Amino acid sequence: MTNEISLLSTGEDPMSVPEAPRSSQKLSPGAWLKVNLFNSVTNSIITVVVGLIAAYVTWQAVAWVISKDFTIIRDTLRIFMIGQFPDDELWRLWVSGAILVIAIGLAAGALARNSYELAESQGLEPESSSVLDLVRRFWAIIAILLLFASFARTAQPKIGIVAVIILVFVVRQLAWSAPVAIRSRAVYISALLVVGSTLVVAGTSRLGGACVGIVVFAWALNESGRRDVAAMRGGRFVSWLLPLVVAAIVAAIVAAIGFDGYGWDDWGGIHVNLFTAVVGITLGMPFGILLALGRQSKLPVVRTASVLYIEFVRGVPLISLLLFSKLLLPLFLPIDMERPAALTLAIVVIMGFSAAYVAEIVRGGLQAVPKGQTEAAQALGLSPGAMQRMIVLPQALRAVIPAMVGQFIALFKDTTLLTTVAVLEFLDAATIANNQPQFLGKGLAPVTYLFVAVGFWAFSFTMSKESRRLEQRLGVGTR
Amino acid sequence: MIIALLWMLAIGLVATLVYVAGRLVYDAWGAVRQRRYDKSVGQLAPPWRDTKVLAIIAQLVFAIVVGVIFWYLWGNFRDRTDAIGLNLSFDFLDQPAGITIADNPLTPADTVGEAITAGFFNTIRIIIVGIPMAVVLGTIVGVARLSNNWLLRKLATGYVEFFRNIPPLVVIVFIWSGVYLTAFPRAADSWQPLNWFVFNNAKFAFPSIEGLDNFAAFRWVILLAVIAAISVVYWRTQVFIRTGAAHHRVLWGLGTLLGIGVIGYFALGGPVKFSLPTVDEAGRVYEGGIRMQMPYAALVTALVLYTATHISEIVRGSIQAVHKGQVEASEALALSGFQRYRFVILPQAMRIAFPPLINQFLNFSKNSSLALLIGFGEITSIISNLAGQSQPAPQLILILMLLYLVISLVLSAIGNLINRRLQIVGR
Repeated sequence: MTNEISLLSTGEDPMSVPEAPRSSQKLSPGAWLKVNLFNSVTNSIITVVVGLIAAYVTWQAVAWVISKDFTIIRDTLRIFMIGQFPDDELWRLWVSGAILVIAIGLAAGALARNSYELAESQGLEPESSSVLDLVRRFWAIIAILLLFASFARTAQPKIGIVAVIILVFVVRQLAWSAPVAIRSRAVYISALLVVGSTLVVAGTSRLGGACVGIVVFAWALNESGRRDVAAMRGGRFVSWLLPLVVAAIVAAIVAAIGFDGYGWDDWGGIHVNLFTAVVGITLGMPFGILLALGRQSKLPVVRTASVLYIEFVRGVPLISLLLFSKLLLPLFLPIDMERPAALTLAIVVIMGFSAAYVAEIVRGGLQAVPKGQTEAAQALGLSPGAMQRMIVLPQALRAVIPAMVGQFIALFKDTTLLTTVAVLEFLDAATIANNQPQFLGKGLAPVTYLFVAVGFWAFSFTMSKESRRLEQRLGVGTR
Repeated sequence: MIIALLWMLAIGLVATLVYVAGRLVYDAWGAVRQRRYDKSVGQLAPPWRDTKVLAIIAQLVFAIVVGVIFWYLWGNFRDRTDAIGLNLSFDFLDQPAGITIADNPLTPADTVGEAITAGFFNTIRIIIVGIPMAVVLGTIVGVARLSNNWLLRKLATGYVEFFRNIPPLVVIVFIWSGVYLTAFPRAADSWQPLNWFVFNNAKFAFPSIEGLDNFAAFRWVILLAVIAAISVVYWRTQVFIRTGAAHHRVLWGLGTLLGIGVIGYFALGGPVKFSLPTVDEAGRVYEGGIRMQMPYAALVTALVLYTATHISEIVRGSIQAVHKGQVEASEALALSGFQRYRFVILPQAMRIAFPPLINQFLNFSKNSSLALLIGFGEITSIISNLAGQSQPAPQLILILMLLYLVISLVLSAIGNLINRRLQIVGR
């Protein structure tokens, strides 16, 4: 453990040690009670006192929940989910959701099968991944989605949500049994689908074309690597140029489609929280990696600039940055430019915010790469850039995946702050629901806040459990 | 105070720039000398293959690119501020602020600078009350998670897994609206247990002490007593280390403190008295005691509950990281469970836990800014309020960020100091 304290930490705890396995021999109920609850006088007193308090609190809480009327959630569920998205544009969300779910199922199934086969070929015990196991791992999210569905007034959202849950399982099983050719490209297909699902809502534009182009470029580069194009005559050139041309063409086509979208000025609900967190961390990551490399750099100008940026952003709260986005950021735009939507400004700031935290995480990963690796790369005559790209970064990034998930959870929780810049996110929806004239002054605020809390809890809890599982599987803590 | 901080920031920035520029010139000079030497021995590489030259060019390019971006943004900024006629000076700090803060003597006629200072001290009030509470609760929960009592362990785990995965802001609004506003009575029928406390859904009030004549002198006496008590504790510790005699340093220290305090109290003719809070029938007028607004209570409670879960994870991890032999050795010495934790496990775990704990303290202080959303007048809400009163936003935001940077720097400096001391004691 380092004893150096940097200005700030990541959102999750740096040392979440898995709970020690306890002996799991079968005991008779009486013996179990004696061993676990009444093995000494102190423990017996603790059990009785704590048990009574816990029983009382649980009783009060259950009685409170039962006594409450959840009509307010039923009536305003729509604001909680999607804010003020208009009715006749609703199909966009359903299509986008379905595409997203297919992407998730595809990537999950293919990656699980690949790692299963890798483990098998290396004689390790592969991880079981039956549907039952999946349900056990993701029960919280499934339960919360079903809870959302159960609050819906009409049948359409109920059917939709259940169909989406079933769809993700079906796609996953299909991807699991898909041929290698598809499985090895699943990541790129999923990325394209994710971008596509956003385009369905936002419409195609030059920006959307550029996003598609980047993914296509990465895919084509990977393909040319597979074919060993670089080994042919003049291949080094072709292996870069060809993907670039393909990507440019695809980007131009996408930009030229002219499919009109629905801007995100009116997005709202939990949809916005998930979207902002995903976009914030995805856009922040490249910038963050550059900052981390800059901080490790030997060039004083670059290093000082990186350190100043990182420590400044990590030393101030996100709220102050969001106030900056609301009050000041528009002032830095060219004078003839219109003021962008609040969510756009917020996303710019959140990107810069998460970049600083990602930079610190990546720095930890870079420091964890053994020095022998860089020395070996230098001995092979790699240039500094190639060394970072091919030797150091892959190892560093793999080691920091769990911390990155932790940062994503922290960012997801921080998206509640979007309410300060007048974006209608999940928590703000509760305020709106409470201010509806028919619910005003009935003391229903706790009900809506409880609903919001449970919604956030399900997503964060599942993700943090998954990140701990990942940490164990990657063996990050044990090296 | 604020102006001084701004000057410090400016000086710090200029010093950094000068340092960086100096390094660059120094490196460039080194490169020139190296190339002269290389030329004299006839091994001059072309400049585009000389790493030293390349490094300097790369840095120059980087600096120019960053500079151009900043210059462009600054140009836009000036255009826009000129267009709306925004004054970029800091004179507004001396203008009347026109705002009030609940439970604060600030009047609308007071200046903006005074309002910001008042908000800053409210932030400090959250931090110094909340952090110790979070540490105590977090340590208890962390130890409970490792208890061999099944029920205690599961309850602690449940608490941690629940509160850790909810945004702190949601915890705050839930505690505020769900617990404090509904569970406590209206101000008109406040609870007044023992007539010592007042609890209602607007304010809590607790007994306090009130200074009478000679109170200033009595404060000095108390300070003297504290210093004397610390020296006595130090002396007893030294005696214990030298001779091994029982130190009883807590008894000695408290005895000294109380002794001097009581003598001083009577010598100065009773300079203080207890002040009990009272509230009138309508629940409007409060007198005596020390009062706590509801948003403040909700904020501190929620942040403590939230931060304690993170602290408990750190404590648990550190306890598990203490070598198993240490526990076995303490069992072999027949130490009781409490003694084992107090003298063997916790001191060693503390050393491991301290660096991540400081990060949690910093998180706590930054999370105190969430008060903006429940209307407690700490620095963020004051600044946001002032910006709403058409005070110039750019300067206000700059001051806000600067104050948080100061808090973060001070906290991490204190933390590093304690951390260094912890490390030396053990090894």
